[in-house]
Amino acid sequence: MTDQEKYLTELSRALSFHSEKDGILTEYEGHLKDMAEEENEVSYEWMIERLGHPEAIANLWREEITVTKPKLQWLFVCCNIALFIGGSLLTVAYHLFSWGWLEWTWNTLTSIPMAIIWAYVAFWCLLGYEIGKTFGPSGQPLLGKTFIIGMVPNLILMLLTVFHIIPHRWFAPLINQEFIWVCIIGTILLYPFTWFGFRFGRRMSV
Amino acid sequence: MFNRELVKGSTSLLILQLLDDRDMYGYELVKEMDRRSKSHFQVKEGTLYPALHKLEKQGYISYYWQDREKGPARKYYKITVDGQEILKERTSEWHRYVQVMNNLIGKKET
Repeated sequence: MTDQEKYLTELSRALSFHSEKDGILTEYEGHLKDMAEEENEVSYEWMIERLGHPEAIANLWREEITVTKPKLQWLFVCCNIALFIGGSLLTVAYHLFSWGWLEWTWNTLTSIPMAIIWAYVAFWCLLGYEIGKTFGPSGQPLLGKTFIIGMVPNLILMLLTVFHIIPHRWFAPLINQEFIWVCIIGTILLYPFTWFGFRFGRRMSV
Repeated sequence: MFNRELVKGSTSLLILQLLDDRDMYGYELVKEMDRRSKSHFQVKEGTLYPALHKLEKQGYISYYWQDREKGPARKYYKITVDGQEILKERTSEWHRYVQVMNNLIGKKET
């Protein structure tokens, strides 16, 4: 086995996790061939010196595929669902039980509605930023898809509230006409905020 | 040789800059980087390909395979319109940064 074959065999073994292994190896093989054509003798040590150890290269490729589009999408969708489930459980528990800490939590949260709205807007900005930073312009379809899926619980809750299917007294003193309008306008503005986060993330992607 | 982190942070920008001149394959990019920097800018050549893959995934570059008489086919990389756009943005930012740093360092030296 030549030194070049030894290097490529080790690299192939280290890259066994990668679905595009063959294409990657073809590139490294071509690279070694070009190196060999230019320099008379290319030893195994020289390849390690110039290209890096196969394990170190494989680690870079592993890092490269750690964050995938579906993973990032479902992370944010699940976080959003968790926020809604958390909020629903808190509301139900507040009306069913008379625990001191629960009442304190409820009263604290309902006294700072604007802070909650801004924190939620920040969550969507972060979503846009992460997609833009990780996937650059090619993340734009992912952004749209994640936004649409993520909006489903928001819209359901909004419709249930606006049409009084959920009694407003459940959310007292949070729900009033003014708060409902702020929520509707906030929901409309959510996509521009997310887009702003995406544009900023895109700038940071290189 | 420069600080490793500084080199790591500038590799993507340099790749885009080189590809803005013409389509290139991996080894050619390394040689061109070496030539233009007069051997001052050296990266572990094996790390170049994950960086290229990332840029391709982000939509800043695309690729095509080209057969050659001897040896495996070559993968040529090509900058996209989005790549040219971000290159322009980041290059101008880089120039502003260098200018400010020069002013600051220059001030300290005098």
